[in-house]
Amino acid sequence: MAQKGKIKSGEKTVIKGTCLSSFGDNSNVSCVDVKDNKIVRIRPLHYDWRYKPEEFNPWQYKARGKTFEPPLKSPLPPFGVAYKKRIYSPNRILYPLKRVDWDPKGERNPQNRGISKYVRISWDEALDIVAGEIKRVVKKYGPEGVLLQAEGHGESKVVNAAHGCPTYLMKLLGGYTQQVRNPDSWEGWYWGAKHVWGNEPVGLNMEFSSNLYNDVAHNTEMLICQGADPETTPWGFGGGCLPSLMCYWYSELGIKQVYICPDLNYGAAVHADKWIPILPNTDVALQLAVAYQWITNGTYDKAYVKTHVIGFDKFSDYVLGKEDGVPKTPKWAAAKCGVPSRIIKALAKEWAAKRTTVAHGYGGPYIRGPYSSEPARMEVCLLGMQGLGKPGVNQLTFVEGTMLGAYNRGRAGKGQAMGMLTPTSIIRPMVNAAYRGYIPFMWKQQSIIPKTILHDVIESGKYDIYGSSDQMDPVEDQFKHYVYPLPGKQEIHMLWTDTPCFTTCWNDGNAFHRAMRNPKIEFMLVQHPWLENDSIFADIILPSNTKFEENDIGADHWPVQYNCVYLEEKAIEPRGESMSDYEIVEAIADKLGLKEKYNEGKSIQDWIKVGFDGSQMEKSGLCTWKQLNEKKYYVVPTDPNWEKIPAGMIEFYQDPEKSPMSTPTGKLEFWSQRLAEHFPDDDERLPVPHWVEKSEFHDERISSDRAKQYSLLCISNHPRWRVHAQLDDVTWFHEIVTGKVRGSDGYLYEPVWLHPSDAAKRGIKNGDIVNLFNERGQVLGGAYITERIMPGVVYIDHGARYDPIVPGEIDRGGAINTICPHHTTSKNCAGMVTSGFLVEAKLADMNGLRRQYPEAFNRPYDKASGQTMERVLYKGEE
Amino acid sequence: MKVLVIDINKCNGCYNCQVACKDEHVGNDWTPIAKPQPDTGQFWMKVTDVVQGSVPKVRVRYMHDICQHCDDAPCIPACKAGSIYKREDGIVVIDPEKCTGARQCIDACPYKVIYFNSDLNISQKCTMCAHLLDKGWKEPRCVDACPTGALTFGEEADLKDLIAKAEILHPEYKVKPRVYYIGLLNKYFIAGAVYDPEADECLEGAMVTLTNTKNKKKSTLKTDVFGDFWFERQEPGKYSLVIEKAGYLSRKVESIDAVKDLNLGDFELYKKVA
Repeated sequence: MAQKGKIKSGEKTVIKGTCLSSFGDNSNVSCVDVKDNKIVRIRPLHYDWRYKPEEFNPWQYKARGKTFEPPLKSPLPPFGVAYKKRIYSPNRILYPLKRVDWDPKGERNPQNRGISKYVRISWDEALDIVAGEIKRVVKKYGPEGVLLQAEGHGESKVVNAAHGCPTYLMKLLGGYTQQVRNPDSWEGWYWGAKHVWGNEPVGLNMEFSSNLYNDVAHNTEMLICQGADPETTPWGFGGGCLPSLMCYWYSELGIKQVYICPDLNYGAAVHADKWIPILPNTDVALQLAVAYQWITNGTYDKAYVKTHVIGFDKFSDYVLGKEDGVPKTPKWAAAKCGVPSRIIKALAKEWAAKRTTVAHGYGGPYIRGPYSSEPARMEVCLLGMQGLGKPGVNQLTFVEGTMLGAYNRGRAGKGQAMGMLTPTSIIRPMVNAAYRGYIPFMWKQQSIIPKTILHDVIESGKYDIYGSSDQMDPVEDQFKHYVYPLPGKQEIHMLWTDTPCFTTCWNDGNAFHRAMRNPKIEFMLVQHPWLENDSIFADIILPSNTKFEENDIGADHWPVQYNCVYLEEKAIEPRGESMSDYEIVEAIADKLGLKEKYNEGKSIQDWIKVGFDGSQMEKSGLCTWKQLNEKKYYVVPTDPNWEKIPAGMIEFYQDPEKSPMSTPTGKLEFWSQRLAEHFPDDDERLPVPHWVEKSEFHDERISSDRAKQYSLLCISNHPRWRVHAQLDDVTWFHEIVTGKVRGSDGYLYEPVWLHPSDAAKRGIKNGDIVNLFNERGQVLGGAYITERIMPGVVYIDHGARYDPIVPGEIDRGGAINTICPHHTTSKNCAGMVTSGFLVEAKLADMNGLRRQYPEAFNRPYDKASGQTMERVLYKGEE
Repeated sequence: MKVLVIDINKCNGCYNCQVACKDEHVGNDWTPIAKPQPDTGQFWMKVTDVVQGSVPKVRVRYMHDICQHCDDAPCIPACKAGSIYKREDGIVVIDPEKCTGARQCIDACPYKVIYFNSDLNISQKCTMCAHLLDKGWKEPRCVDACPTGALTFGEEADLKDLIAKAEILHPEYKVKPRVYYIGLLNKYFIAGAVYDPEADECLEGAMVTLTNTKNKKKSTLKTDVFGDFWFERQEPGKYSLVIEKAGYLSRKVESIDAVKDLNLGDFELYKKVA
């Protein structure tokens, strides 16, 4: 069952991309040294290992009398360097497991999901059960009875795709219900900014990102990072540590870097010339006040607004207070956002006087709070008031650059040819022809459930909404009406996931648990390498393995220094009885008599060749299949004409008629006609951007009555020492001060950042175990008392591994998403809200908790890595 | 002879060096240079977050503690078993096969960079990955994994210019370390902001003069658009400060004690009345 080609003893080096974005798009390429079937080390690939630099036409940036020379090795983040710990993690699932009190022929006991334990079963038995259940569900409820979660972040594998392999099988059985992924990384941009400037598919500037690193170097005078951490977000995805290097160079060039965020994030810590602390999710107030200053003082580009902007008058009326009688002055804003009015004035003055680019990773908590559509589209409006697109004035995306823009152009038939954030390669190497998983671009099922309302839909059995929230859908989809179940179709009764992390990564994990225990869900199937998070709710768990145990092909085409194609040869034999996700589904297909249809008559090696052929390397005369097999990797040379590609939005700036944006008028629409037409009564997302204090759905401001009980605003970032839920068990990260806080009880708590003034008020000292709580539940953490956070705010990363003291109520592991808001971004925006909400912090009453829940504190625990597998393995107890 | 130069100004706090060292030495046996270190608890390359200042004038810098491979290493004579030696390339090695676990080296080391492995009963520390250098590697793991160029390793003669910009840690120990630091965290910033509370505006262009009380040296800065001033890398000691702007009453601050990075806070200036 495991992949063919047993490893010979001896030493060898293989190549593996360590990007954890998944979807077959790779980055952070590494060399893996192996000896006698054991991984010795993981280290950066030096591009000039088997090629002379001249062969790949190395590039440089020259600006303001200085030169930037990109390093000749891949900028691996610590995730890649430490990845051995995941391959050999004590949480690896090594054989199939079945929940002890789930019997597909008898009692299923859904109420015990998350509580009852697991017994080992054979692959044969597991596959029989799985195939039997699929057949039964499809027969009884139709293929739509099966929900596939099908995609998420994780290892970037192509043939052995980590997510979505089940979609190919279910399509052969007549279809399935797709869990639609909301624009989780882009909420505000998708729901808000797209209405101002289009910029499909996600509303963050991706299509018009070519050569922006260079444009900033030459022309930008001030770089604002508002909801941006170039030192953290790129790590898990693309670009590794290259954005870090760019920021250091920008400082050398004298470009002023201003960070506007509640926490001194890791980028601000080393790059900020100015930190402007701001309360979570209050950016709109600051932005409105900046616009107020510009309008009142006439310090904006009036000529540009006349030719490039629609609806400025209505926007201006709101800003000046003509619409609601409240002028959005700096003093008004200061009370909302915690930034002193004089600082707002100085920012407005400097922004107007200096060529300013705003930079992001994806936006983070800035665009993942309640009403996130508003700060996102305000930002575009502010940029639009200062000549967006002129040299030095753009929106820079550190992580992806043009990547999704390239997908979008392909979809729109515009051809892929476009630049990259970094000097573009002659060809952008893509091996996706061999991708056997699913990404939202590929297709969209008719039967869908938005992930953000999955818990509600299971409980109620229906929904009736506008907009599917599918992150790759064009903006028009937000006006489309969707109902579930589809006419003539039934609800879901089986959940099949290869991305079991809703609990700690999505909205209201506690509600998700309740839904998992609903008897409507007759079968929950998990396939995953590690037994973490949602996995403990499964009825059957199948062990998939890591890419280091598989053969595959990879291509680095995120914005790193150089793009590569590489053969990812197997490093070690599969651990235990694990197989790749692709092989697992193939085995299930085999039981259903569909193996040849599923693998299309191809072996994994055949698929690897398909991927290589699709990359155009051989067709373009760049690299033959033979050469790739000899050298194992190929560095695509830099396009000698890279500098000629227009930078950022310069073409729109120069001629908005000739190069329009994809909005209905082709211009920047500060007032959106379509929003006015479709949602005239939507107070949370009006035709012009607004400050929304509260609504039926959300009441999370410091002005709220709730704030009397829950007086702190919580900010939750993309984690520093994880990629979402992954890597939470890496002992080497736990030893880092911001990694985990070891409590007085020896447990590794998730760090909770508090300002000394807030800690003192609550009698909390550094290292204390604290309880963060609101009406939705309680989450424990370890106090990190620091000046790296502003008063009034508590900071905790999302993604910590769930460890329930009381399932659905009290979590010890630090999974803050169990108590984040239940409701979506706003009434008509089914986005997630995972930051910018009220909590209170107090010293945890550990004695009280131990007295009340002794079993919760007696579970097996490893002092270095955390929860152990033993906890979930059935030992014959009652 | 080899040297390591650590440029703290270029360190972004990624901890790659600390982690790469673990990747190399946990679970891997490099006898006769080094035996495996335990999974946790030892930090042959140790990174520490140093938080400077107070809200909103806060920075983080990262200190690196590592065996200094001293030319006059006190650990060598301290070891009664004679297990510690200095190679021709300058690297100091504790022979893991000769070590008797007596821990004299741990007591003798003034930099506190030697660790005790109680499972193997031996003392352990950084080896500059000598086992890799001997196989042809140009740099130890930490330097190879560093993405920003904060770590530089090589021949002392080749790195003369870089060394000239650097300093050693605790020169008073007098042990001739082979590790150099640029941007060592022994000087502090003194910062603050100036504003006009009546106009509710930051004051740009105010002249701020910092005087070292002991040696009377003066530094002058003009506040920026946010009214901010940052005096960088001041010697520890006592200072006084004067803030002046045409049309405003001056402010003076005495007894500033720079024992760490200081945010002096926000200073109000009031207009002179006629």
